[in-house]
Amino acid sequence: MTSRLGLILTLAQKDWRLFWADRRAALLCFVVPIVLASAFGLIFNQPTQALTETRLPILIVVEDDGPFTAKVVTDLLASPRLEARVVSAAEAATLVVEQPGQPAIVLTRGFERLKQWQPGNTNDRPELRILHHPAGMADRQWAEGVATEVIMQRLAREKFGGFSAGVPDSAFTTPMQVHATAITGNSDAQFNSYSHSFCGMTLQYLLFWGMESGLLFLRERQRGVWGRMRAAPVSLGSVLAGKAIATAAIAMLQVLVTFGFGYLVFGVTVSGSLLGFVLLALAACGLAAATGLLVAAIGGTEARARSVSILVILGVSMIGGLWVPAFMLPQWVRELALSLPTTWAMRGLSAATWEGLGLRAILPSVAVVTAFAAVFLVLATLRLKRAEYRIRRGIV
Amino acid sequence: MPLPVALSLVGVCVRYGNRLAVDGVSLDVRRGEIVGLMGPNGSGKSTTLAVAAGVLDPLAGTVAVEAIDRSRNPAEFAMRVGFVPQECGLYDELTAAENLLFFGQLYGLGGTDLRRRVARVLARVSLTDRATHCVSTFSGGMKQRLNLAIALIHDPPVLLLDEPTAALDPASRDSLFTDLTHLRDDGHAVLLSTHHLEEAELGCDRVIVLEAGKLVASGTPGELLQSRVGTGAVLYGHLRSRPPKYLLRAIRSRFPDGVSIEITGRRLRLIAPDHVALGTALAMLLTDGVELDTYRTPAGTLERVLSHPVCATAMGSE
Repeated sequence: MTSRLGLILTLAQKDWRLFWADRRAALLCFVVPIVLASAFGLIFNQPTQALTETRLPILIVVEDDGPFTAKVVTDLLASPRLEARVVSAAEAATLVVEQPGQPAIVLTRGFERLKQWQPGNTNDRPELRILHHPAGMADRQWAEGVATEVIMQRLAREKFGGFSAGVPDSAFTTPMQVHATAITGNSDAQFNSYSHSFCGMTLQYLLFWGMESGLLFLRERQRGVWGRMRAAPVSLGSVLAGKAIATAAIAMLQVLVTFGFGYLVFGVTVSGSLLGFVLLALAACGLAAATGLLVAAIGGTEARARSVSILVILGVSMIGGLWVPAFMLPQWVRELALSLPTTWAMRGLSAATWEGLGLRAILPSVAVVTAFAAVFLVLATLRLKRAEYRIRRGIV
Repeated sequence: MPLPVALSLVGVCVRYGNRLAVDGVSLDVRRGEIVGLMGPNGSGKSTTLAVAAGVLDPLAGTVAVEAIDRSRNPAEFAMRVGFVPQECGLYDELTAAENLLFFGQLYGLGGTDLRRRVARVLARVSLTDRATHCVSTFSGGMKQRLNLAIALIHDPPVLLLDEPTAALDPASRDSLFTDLTHLRDDGHAVLLSTHHLEEAELGCDRVIVLEAGKLVASGTPGELLQSRVGTGAVLYGHLRSRPPKYLLRAIRSRFPDGVSIEITGRRLRLIAPDHVALGTALAMLLTDGVELDTYRTPAGTLERVLSHPVCATAMGSE
């Protein structure tokens, strides 16, 4: 008689065959995450050099006709950080609404009084108004920073102009040099926006594959084939193990294909610990398999399981930072996300890929993802065994 | 001398919630015997078969195959039972041979032996030429034959079939019963469930009738038929078209005390007090243009029905 392991492998092989039986569906399993990861990477791909050369488009509304104000306008128009143009107040109100990402700086009536400013004078300060789109908070801050710098430079020239005659305007630049460097844990590692998108989309589609595997299991249980399996000398434990192995094996293939494509086409590399990457990939595949069994265990009907699973997977993907980097999310979301396996998996994959960190930095992620997979597996097994017992005993 | 008992159910009870679905059923099936489980919907046929197959655990009672008690040795028990579920237990995405290989492996088979068995059972159900075809391309009859082949892959002495003819046309049904008869002749014990006495009569050696979970009658089909129609005559047919109501009314009014016409779907059962009345009723149907795909009577009575002069004329004119 075949050994228990042989039986489990037979069951896993059956699921492997079923997966490949519909070649187009199988192919889509690999193509969709690649397409999405490429699209996300392309959208968020902003090379460092390009960023420094980017100029913020702004509109300038001049309500004061004083000479100091006119010089400020000239400085703003000449700023290498801005792509500025002067418009009327009405035009600015329309353009800011219609073209998000283009704030307006309004030099209000009485702005000229700024010329009389003295240190310590906090009263009667003229107003600098900034109009911006509700979604353009970053642009607003950018505009405020550049405008403040330009105005303060002009003010310095006016204030010190009296005793520094003959000093060229270029002398009134900022008194320090600003030098910005993007750093990672490994000086050799370079950020690649495709690394983030390939890590995120791979993880998201591992969970989707897990869900699909769970739905297949539900379908199988609702077909006559399950009655036949119950009649065969096969324990439920073997069936679940076979299912988990097949799901994890296909998930691992998905990881290999997705990252292989990322490496060949977009230069996504494992700059950190390769062992850490492999361990985390194995843990994530285990998580996909356990998720599948959990879907089958608590899903009820296929339609219900599909709807709820999609909602949950999209939710944990978004909160876990699989779509956009976690630092872009609000603080409370980042704290909430620590309770999700996706957050830890994403941290680990980021550490292994673009952050270029070592095994020690990745192991906590491996441990947390493995723990989640183990808990899901135990819950699913207990629940399915209970359901099977109830069916066998005719308990409704 | 009768062959030994292969399957034995003793005092089996199954409860679904508060409802007792099977209530103290005891039955034996011997090797070389086909036994039909009959009864209306909800009578406990499928549940009894599920218990016999080891798919359900009985609340009380024992199930044994060749003296192996399922509760004590479920693995050995499973090796001796082939189960054909009512809904085809097949993977549509795989080929016929792949299905057989998979289920064969579940029963511990492998290598050359398994491949030989696959070829043998495919030949047995006349599907050799479709071995490498995907099951999704099969007709209902072919699927049911493959369903049977899977149950045979480990060559179990006991074969259990849950309403195997439910989705079959008359030709496929006859072919299935031919297969079952060959299996019976090879020494298998076969227990199947069916709604139709006609089927039981066609292929079963013995019939057990369940009602509300209880065994209410048991015997040969002839004995059971006798108890139903007394000294009367019966004819089963498969209608090509439904007879008009006026015709049914005309037949019933002509034989106010005797002829019963039961039509379920396209199945016809005609019961009359004697063969002459049966022949006349059949002739009335045929002369009015009602067409029958197939028709039959219990063994030995068909000639007597068809020998009725009116009926003979009608049949001759077809």
